[in-house]
Amino acid sequence: MTCSGGFMEPIAQGAMSPFESGVFSLVVYTILVAAFIASQLFLAAWVGEKKQSVEKSRPYECGIIPTGSARFRYPVPFYMVAIFFLIFDVEGAFIFTWAVIYEDAGLAGYAQMAFFIILLLAGLFYIWRQGGLDWKEHKT
Amino acid sequence: MERAQDVAGDRERGAGSGYRVSDPRDQTSESRDPTADSRFLSLTDRVVNWARKFSLWPMFFGLSCCFVEEAASFTSRYDLARFGAEVLRPSPRQADLLIVSGTVFKKIAPIVLRLYEQMPEPKWVISMGSCSNSGGMYDVYSVVQGVDQIIPVDVYVPGCPPRPEALLQGLVILQEKISTEKPSRRIFHMAGGTQGTDRPVLVGGATKSRDPRGPGYEGVSIRGVSELPNPPQWGSRSDVMWTPPARRIEFSSGDLSLAAELRERFGQSFSAAPHTSDMLTIEAGPEIVKEVLRYLKFEAKAKYRRLDDLTAIDESARRERIWNKDFAGALTDLGGGLLRLPGSRPVVSAPDFTLVYQLLSFDSASRIRVKCGLHGAYPTAGSVTDIWPSANWYEREVFDMFGIRFEGHPNLSRILMPHWWEGHPLRKDYPGRATEMAPYTAADARMRQPLDAQQLSDTGYRRSEKELDAQGSQLGSISDTRYRTPDLRNEFLLNIGPHHVSTHGLLRCIAELEGEQIRDLELEIGYHHRASEKLGERQTWHQYIPYTDRNDYLAGSSLEFSYVTAVETLADIRVPERAQAIRVLLAELYRLSNHLVWFATFAHDLGAMTPNFYTFAEREMILDIIELITGGRLHAEYLRIGGVAADLPEGWKEAVDHLVKIFPRRLHEYEKLLRKNPIFLARTKGVGRISLEEAMDWGVTGPNLRACGLEWDLRRKFPYSGYENYEFEVPTATEGDCYARYLVRVEELRQSIRIIEQAADQMPSGRCVTEDYRYAIPKRNEMLRDIETLIHHFINVTRGMKIPRGEAYGATEVPRGEHGYYVISDGLGYAYRIRVRGPGFANIQTLPILAAGESIADLISIIGSIDIILPDIDR
Repeated sequence: MTCSGGFMEPIAQGAMSPFESGVFSLVVYTILVAAFIASQLFLAAWVGEKKQSVEKSRPYECGIIPTGSARFRYPVPFYMVAIFFLIFDVEGAFIFTWAVIYEDAGLAGYAQMAFFIILLLAGLFYIWRQGGLDWKEHKT
Repeated sequence: MERAQDVAGDRERGAGSGYRVSDPRDQTSESRDPTADSRFLSLTDRVVNWARKFSLWPMFFGLSCCFVEEAASFTSRYDLARFGAEVLRPSPRQADLLIVSGTVFKKIAPIVLRLYEQMPEPKWVISMGSCSNSGGMYDVYSVVQGVDQIIPVDVYVPGCPPRPEALLQGLVILQEKISTEKPSRRIFHMAGGTQGTDRPVLVGGATKSRDPRGPGYEGVSIRGVSELPNPPQWGSRSDVMWTPPARRIEFSSGDLSLAAELRERFGQSFSAAPHTSDMLTIEAGPEIVKEVLRYLKFEAKAKYRRLDDLTAIDESARRERIWNKDFAGALTDLGGGLLRLPGSRPVVSAPDFTLVYQLLSFDSASRIRVKCGLHGAYPTAGSVTDIWPSANWYEREVFDMFGIRFEGHPNLSRILMPHWWEGHPLRKDYPGRATEMAPYTAADARMRQPLDAQQLSDTGYRRSEKELDAQGSQLGSISDTRYRTPDLRNEFLLNIGPHHVSTHGLLRCIAELEGEQIRDLELEIGYHHRASEKLGERQTWHQYIPYTDRNDYLAGSSLEFSYVTAVETLADIRVPERAQAIRVLLAELYRLSNHLVWFATFAHDLGAMTPNFYTFAEREMILDIIELITGGRLHAEYLRIGGVAADLPEGWKEAVDHLVKIFPRRLHEYEKLLRKNPIFLARTKGVGRISLEEAMDWGVTGPNLRACGLEWDLRRKFPYSGYENYEFEVPTATEGDCYARYLVRVEELRQSIRIIEQAADQMPSGRCVTEDYRYAIPKRNEMLRDIETLIHHFINVTRGMKIPRGEAYGATEVPRGEHGYYVISDGLGYAYRIRVRGPGFANIQTLPILAAGESIADLISIIGSIDIILPDIDR
């Protein structure tokens, strides 16, 4: 493998920062990292005394032997909240992008984005009203 | 063998004789010559040991009092982290050092063993405190006589409880032990090498002495026996001592008219005791007792709304009864006038057991005791759970301890003793000492597992389906909406405790969960049953005082206060004014100390770690004052029947004044951390609400009752020890939720400091113990002056004083509510029976009501706000 500067000419001069040769050092670096990780994994797995027992592999539940299996359909209201958060969080990506080209997009862009946000808000209020954001029902 | 026993026994009785580390000679697994190790292995040994000893990860198994000192060791004054042992962790998975602190109970021992086994290798164990070392002062049926009978122990820290510095010292000794280990061979999978604990688990009687006096006394038989019906104690020296009769009170007009009212209604099978020492006492036959109780609760003029206490007495060892039955002839041989026989009741009518119901009327601030005699070896009585829901646990306790059954009880099962237990410990024919029973072994700990959650939840007390449905419709959701289809009940049983940070002790909650919401909650208690009632039957009246402290290790002498109040009520002992003021001063100092711990732990439960480090600083300041006065920290053991142990020392006033000066400002500062904190408010407001009606019905006392809006404080309603002379307010709140309980307790801190200020300023002069030395241990300088005092001293410190035949209930307002002792004397040097009425037992029984419908996170907040402590629940 050659590693001369000519081989690694920048694709578009000036558009990107000058890139000097580095495949060799990259390869060495990669090998070192891989070896280091492998040694860590090996040492962690091999070094040290291991005693397996029934008690050790039992789940910890405040010292009591757990009852039943943990593999069942489990209602997690938090999950809904988390999903909604993700959805609304991703919308942020559109808004930030728009903010960068705010000037260029002009009034049309503004109107489109306003429509988008209103639509989102309507969705949010709908979820809110449906009780999708409630974690639990409070005692009255 | 001989040597092994000595070493083991020596270790067992390690308290007081210094720290003990594994003897390197005993490390049998080190078979090869250590010098044979290559230089590489020696080097890695040194590096690994160095790394290990300064990065220990301690896991606590806090069982009782000692844990409070263990917890103090990581707060600012002691700072465990300085020694390379960081924050104590609750889970075995991330720990290599197990610190067992406190009393190891037979019921909890399987869990201690499990958590030890769940820890990764290598691991070490520190046993902290006399109880964990050897059973300590608890040689009783429910306690394992040393944790080294189930798991191997590296370092024993003596003390009861050891100070935090002692734990630090234990840690340093363990570090020294670690640096002598040779772990490299084990690390590299070679033969030989040592790491972690290599000690054997000891077996009581084989590799460890079982003599309660320690090793070396094998030739001398143990003095005294447990109080059993046979042999009867009819020849006691106490009989030749004269005492004035028990106190007699004047009944109020209300009491007299009530007695008349009852007599009119219930006629012949009802009788009222002509005179008592504390309250109106009536006796009702088993056939009408339930009607009498119902009448007292609902129809009597002063409605007795609260079931203060329900307990039983085993009458089989009453001397009067044994005299009549077996010794009528024998006594005549003793020569007439020597023993004065008490009025002889015919044997046939003397009951075998007496059920005792104690009721309280909020309206007239009066109490009444209803007694009901039962006949037979295992009698049956009617359950009163339909009159007071709180009777549920009380009746289970009576069943557990005496074997008396209750007809109509929804779930009559053991409550304090584990389900596999045989016998009923408070019966007089049951042996009291653990050393009289077979030794508890590691095999027992493997076999005697706690009941499965499913079993407890199925057999447990369940509110009726109708009630649950009503609740469901109130909640509006969980029964039918999006989370659940009718054919798929997504319920999950989760154990929270007994080993859990936020249960504040060995309490097991079994939550029936639907998602994160608690549908129903079942409690299992008894993991901390230290047999303090049985102990009262074998300790002299004075010797019992140290046990009372340990019934609530955060409230110190407040519990001694209740106990001595009860005995003083019974024997009609006048306490000098100075002693009364000192008692008040101490009780309020302990209230401050307790509420500061509560403040810290409550905040900690809700995720706020900071208050811990602040409030423990003031707590240490208070403990310093207590130590100056009493010589103790957690357990003062300072009150005496008839007064206090010693007069106030020099410099007490300055220390108290300093506290009074700085405390309000500090409290204000700490309050700012929480009171308006939006997270704190969201976690406490409207959470865990209980109505005043329910609280009164369930026997809730203390700040928890006052948070429901009732101004009920024994210091005001039944003033004792001169509380009527102090100016203070009884804070209340109305909401009955976690936040209301918080507000009440914080305000109590302010009021307590007011009382402390007044007590210190107006401290009367005079004696600090009664002059009636019949009932007190005389002061030394007076003892040396005249022969009568010398005789009293001799008798009172050897066989103990005699308390006249009778019974009395004495209660004080401890930080957690009404803590009372019901003492029954048969005219001997020790009690015939002592009943402990702990506020926690009643308070925690409401937890399922508070928590149903809330989320798991709220359960933690609710437990924190109730401020429980296990020894006063399980006793």
